[in-house]
Amino acid sequence: MVLSQALLALGLVFTGVFYTHRRLQASLDANLKARAMGIAALVRYPEDSKQGLIFESSLIPPKDLSSGDLFEITAEGPGLIAQSPGWPQNLDFSPSGKRIQNTKIRGIPYRVLRLTNVPILDREEGVSSLPSTLTVTYATPKVEMNLQVLRAGVYIALASLVFLGGTVVLALWGIRRGLLPLQHLASQAAQVSAQHWEFQPPAEAELVAELKPLTGAMQTMLHRLHQSFEQQRHFLGNAAHELKTPVAILKSTMQSLLQKPRTSPEYQAGLSQSLEDVERLEKLLQWMLRLARAEQWAYGTLERKLEPIDLTSTCEGAIEGIRGLASARRAEIQLNAEDGVVCRADPEDLELVWINLLENAVRYSPAGTRVSVNVGRTDHKARVIVEDQGPGIPADELPLVFERFHRGESSRNRETGGFGLGLAIAKALVEAYGGTITPESAVGKGTRMIVDLPLSSS
Amino acid sequence: MRILIVEDEMRLAENMARSFRESSGYAVDIANDGEDGLFMAQSNPYDAVLLDLMLPRMDGVAVLRAIRATHQHTPVLVLTARDEKESIVSLLNAGADDYLTKPFDLGELLARVKALIRRGKGQGSPVLKVGDLQINTVDRTVQRNRKPIVLTAMEYRVLEYLAHRPRAVVSKTELLEHLYDYNWEKFSNVIEVYISGLRRKLNKGASAQLIHTYRGQGYVLQQ
Repeated sequence: MVLSQALLALGLVFTGVFYTHRRLQASLDANLKARAMGIAALVRYPEDSKQGLIFESSLIPPKDLSSGDLFEITAEGPGLIAQSPGWPQNLDFSPSGKRIQNTKIRGIPYRVLRLTNVPILDREEGVSSLPSTLTVTYATPKVEMNLQVLRAGVYIALASLVFLGGTVVLALWGIRRGLLPLQHLASQAAQVSAQHWEFQPPAEAELVAELKPLTGAMQTMLHRLHQSFEQQRHFLGNAAHELKTPVAILKSTMQSLLQKPRTSPEYQAGLSQSLEDVERLEKLLQWMLRLARAEQWAYGTLERKLEPIDLTSTCEGAIEGIRGLASARRAEIQLNAEDGVVCRADPEDLELVWINLLENAVRYSPAGTRVSVNVGRTDHKARVIVEDQGPGIPADELPLVFERFHRGESSRNRETGGFGLGLAIAKALVEAYGGTITPESAVGKGTRMIVDLPLSSS
Repeated sequence: MRILIVEDEMRLAENMARSFRESSGYAVDIANDGEDGLFMAQSNPYDAVLLDLMLPRMDGVAVLRAIRATHQHTPVLVLTARDEKESIVSLLNAGADDYLTKPFDLGELLARVKALIRRGKGQGSPVLKVGDLQINTVDRTVQRNRKPIVLTAMEYRVLEYLAHRPRAVVSKTELLEHLYDYNWEKFSNVIEVYISGLRRKLNKGASAQLIHTYRGQGYVLQQ
């Protein structure tokens, strides 16, 4: 910008100098002509016709000559009539060229005017032997004019410089002022960190229409980042927290085993307990990873390719999976399935959902109970209902069953073996596939877990 | 000493209880949920309570507040899986005396509980002294005039309890309540058996009687 300003100023100086030069030259030329005419007027006819033309050299304005002017007057016939002192013998003046020419006389630049056919003023009729017209060549030094042009150039350049400086200062101030909202925006944005997610675009930035898309995009981006960050942190915190209890159990088992020398059966019992604990830990880890993955899907932070799968087959897989537990509790599991209920999902995930729901139903129901699984459609959705004949869940506890590590009354019996994570996993997985899970329960009658999943279009 | 463990992870509770019984000779009761825990803490004179925070039916903080609301000064050590500063501060402010984060070291747990009980009874040092009698509660050894005295587990427990409250009258009922856990039938005449055994062993080669009987009131340990 400063460069363009400088170029502009330079152009201004050139134009100014050129214009001044033109004007000064025009005035010089006019002056030159006037002086030449003035000199020519000093030529007059003699009283006595025998004499030649007379030049009244005493009447030359002294001012003209002192400023270095030179002249020569000639006429056809008598030839040279008058010549100023110092008139050069070899004047560089082409007779065929322009009336006014630039030349150098003894190294000094001169402007030379040659006027031809200048009438002699006091010409008398009848004296025909003398010429009636003159040729006047008049030269005046250009030094003065050149000085003036130079002075004008310097003035213009100085003025341009002042103007340029002023413009630069003004422009800088203007730019800074104009960019102030952006600066505030940047300093606000710089304050955003993993600890401090709040981002409120400054009011002046909101007022600038050009900044609106930027602040909007920043807010959206930060919101998404924050969500994903919080989700990760939440999971990490939960995972660490949820691992602590099983590790504490394992550690205490081993430490109490080591507290004093024990018998071989005692060691054996302790080791098999520890192994059980480790297996629980392993299962918990797998579940947590699956939950984390499901939650990432739900938030769209993980891409997935899903095949359409038949819900009934996943239910059959799940029933097969808990056959051991079911026979131990003498529970009968009944499957009533409509044909061709298809969803897009990872079959392993859905199987885990059904297993968790079934396990819950079987564990918390009295032995010899019946659990039913219904697969069908409703309102363009796939619906799976897992129903038990257990003791039911009180209404005030119903919303809590999906909370991680929530365990109902009967879970005081540790034989149930879960960590209270099963239903939380089931819910997260179902929601990851865009579905819902709704518990319905009546104390003393049983519990229904209703899972709705989007049907696959194909 | 008798302590209460309120912890829903049965396996963890059993492991802790076994440790206290084996290495400290404490009587230990276990509650598996908050409501049971609160009921037991309020109906028995425990020397310390170990309280888990995440409990079914009533969470640990609520149990803690309820215990403190009834002006019980029983030392409470909280077991927590969270170790954020704020939650620990709020726990201590709610009346907890100490805390341990899971997973913890059983040895550290024992040491902390012992220290809590000691301080709760106004004792600074783990070595209790009554006259020329010295009871080391860390390795559970007893000396009189620098001569070691060998006691049975029950005799030691009776003596340790009395030594925690020197010069105070301790009734048979109090002794019974602090030496046996929930599952024991309590017969006051067993206390007399332990006391007479203790007297015999402590007085061997010594002149002054240490355990004095206040008829109808109880026993006092003093030189």
